[in-house]
Amino acid sequence: MTRSTLITASLTLFACNAALLSAAEPRSTGEIAAMIDAATEHSTIRVPAGVYHGRLSVQKAVRLEGGGEVVIDGGGTGNVVELLAPGIEFRGFTVRGSGSRVEMEPAAIFAGVGPVVIEDCRIDDALFGIDLRQASGSTVRGNFVMGRDLDPGRSGDGVRLWWSHDCLIENNTVVNSRDMVFWYSRNLRIVGNRVSGSRYGLHFMYSHDTLVEDNILTRNSVGAYLMYSQGITVRRNSMTRNRGASGYGIGLKDCDDILIESNAFLANRVGVYIDNSPSSTESWGLFVQNTFAFNEIGLLATPNTHDNVFTSNAFIENEEQAGVHGRGALSLNTFARDGVGNFWSDYNGFDRTGDGVGDMPYEPRSLFENLLASEPNLRFFLHSPAQQAVEFTARALPELRPQPKLIDPHPLVRPPKIVAPAAEEPSEGRLAILAISLALVGVASLTAWRLGRDPAPIRRERNRR
Amino acid sequence: MTTLTIEAGAPRGAACLSPPGAIARIARREFRDAAASRWFLLYTIGFAVLAIGVSFMSLAGSGSHGLAGFGRTAAGMLNLVMLVVPLMALTAGAGAIAGERERGTLLYILAQPVSRTEVILGKYLGLGLALCCSVWLGFGLSAGVVAWRAGGADVDAFLLLVLFTCALALAMLSVGVLISVMSRRVGIATGLGLFVWIALVFLSDLGLMAGTLIFKLRVQEVFAIGVANPLQAFKMSVIVAMNASLDVLGPVGVYASRQFGGSLAWILSGVLGAWIVTPLAAAIVLFSRRAPA
Repeated sequence: MTRSTLITASLTLFACNAALLSAAEPRSTGEIAAMIDAATEHSTIRVPAGVYHGRLSVQKAVRLEGGGEVVIDGGGTGNVVELLAPGIEFRGFTVRGSGSRVEMEPAAIFAGVGPVVIEDCRIDDALFGIDLRQASGSTVRGNFVMGRDLDPGRSGDGVRLWWSHDCLIENNTVVNSRDMVFWYSRNLRIVGNRVSGSRYGLHFMYSHDTLVEDNILTRNSVGAYLMYSQGITVRRNSMTRNRGASGYGIGLKDCDDILIESNAFLANRVGVYIDNSPSSTESWGLFVQNTFAFNEIGLLATPNTHDNVFTSNAFIENEEQAGVHGRGALSLNTFARDGVGNFWSDYNGFDRTGDGVGDMPYEPRSLFENLLASEPNLRFFLHSPAQQAVEFTARALPELRPQPKLIDPHPLVRPPKIVAPAAEEPSEGRLAILAISLALVGVASLTAWRLGRDPAPIRRERNRR
Repeated sequence: MTTLTIEAGAPRGAACLSPPGAIARIARREFRDAAASRWFLLYTIGFAVLAIGVSFMSLAGSGSHGLAGFGRTAAGMLNLVMLVVPLMALTAGAGAIAGERERGTLLYILAQPVSRTEVILGKYLGLGLALCCSVWLGFGLSAGVVAWRAGGADVDAFLLLVLFTCALALAMLSVGVLISVMSRRVGIATGLGLFVWIALVFLSDLGLMAGTLIFKLRVQEVFAIGVANPLQAFKMSVIVAMNASLDVLGPVGVYASRQFGGSLAWILSGVLGAWIVTPLAAAIVLFSRRAPA
């Protein structure tokens, strides 16, 4: 039978944190190891509630149930829990106290072989959260990973897959981490996860043929960064307020055959950033029914970007609807398919025929945006009347008008509906703002009434100015 | 109001009225005149209508995605405020002394037992309060639209926007009063006010833009020159209040946020404060020295 390694770390180091649980006398993970030793393969072990100190290595296919009342505290060295046999299920534990040496990449839960199931676990105070290495066919579901409060460059990944194909990553929440990252892993399904306060919400490196659905990626540096990957479908995700150093809702770097459908890119610095995708001539990029709203730049692409098709998307009130990273235009891409273009909130044409498609093409030419492309420091003048003055001048003097950055021959006159999940509930400040409204109007009127009435004793002015 | 009047309490015209009382009375009269003035009413109504319009426009088409709230409205409001409020304040201030001078009533007022400092302060306070009332009315109605159409809003940021707008109005009023003290006729004062308005709203920014392009100014130079403009200081204050960072303003904004960090808000408020105090103080000094008519 499998032999359990018993590594009992110093007990007292984190014991003071254990007050979470009642009757928490310090216990050792050796107790769990002994239970596993005693169990038969594929049996279920219900671990009694308590705080267990030390590391745990599971080398037998058993079903471990923590029921949400078991804490495993690694004491700050190496991996805390290692799953080293196919068929292990690890469910309902709180795991904390991994090592902190970045070069060792210590994780709270490490799986070195697949398939395993890691479900409903909570991870605190660990450098890496869940680390799957060559653990194909695994399921990671419903876990909560809270990262250490470190500089993003020095911290570890909330969830990492390395050469682990055919995995399901579902309904996990990652907060304050580096990435949820997928290396060299094919055919994944990444569904319903939430990542916030991290570097890259989802990060794909050479990971192909993957489905990314219904994730909510908020307040990261970048919502999802796809690099050197092919055949990825990104559908119904919400990327909101990703405004870090890069600040993209989605970044695409040298990716082929990407379908971006029905996502919401809201209030990011850049909604979608395309860097040389598709990278080969035979491949494509397709953007359908996405909403780009309130970003500083809705769509940003490098000048060499080509062969992307945009249809039925809505570009709403982005500071700059579409821009080129550098000089040039987006003319190697197509902004309509089968007579269906995109909705642009700054389109000022008309639809005489009433078929929902504008009669004139959408051709954005903004002198100020062109100036911004050549001199980024001018962004300082955004939101000021001088910006409007520049645009007005360009409109009044046609020789100053720049060439259009893109041409949408069939712009839509109504935006398609947003189907992605809402990242934030509408805030509850309605009553407060209503109160403020009433207060401001009230104070203004009251002051005017009180002071504007009776003639002051000095003198009444005859003339009205 | 009472706190302000205490520091202005150096009595020059010793007589029946205590200095705070004199200032309050002049302020009250000035407020009443402003409230009754057609120009002022027109500005107020115009500002309120535009504020409501901007709120509606900003919220249209944003759907139920929770982002429809104050941020968008505020971005639209910024432009409106930067155009209209300085215009209101400068023209109101420009008429304050020059009007009395032109009508010959200034001598009459100065014959009363009040000091010149009290006259200026009183007029400034009265007009400032009237301007603030206009601003409150416009923002109040706009907040009503937000509450009705969008639901939530960041209350703190909204209040800060109102506060900074009032500060901007007071700063521009201060410049207007200074112009008024220097001018013999209302027409000249108003013309000067309009020129200052165009200079602050358009010319200085366009000039700095051209300078940035031609001389390839560095970020710290753009920031240092730009922040001297009270309108830019106002704009940045509002953005800091809403985003806690100036990164929306590109490299210059990132530089300012990194360089000054938490003290950035104080620097910007300080610039606005200086634009309130300095022209007003200059106006008081000038008015005390000059012959009244």
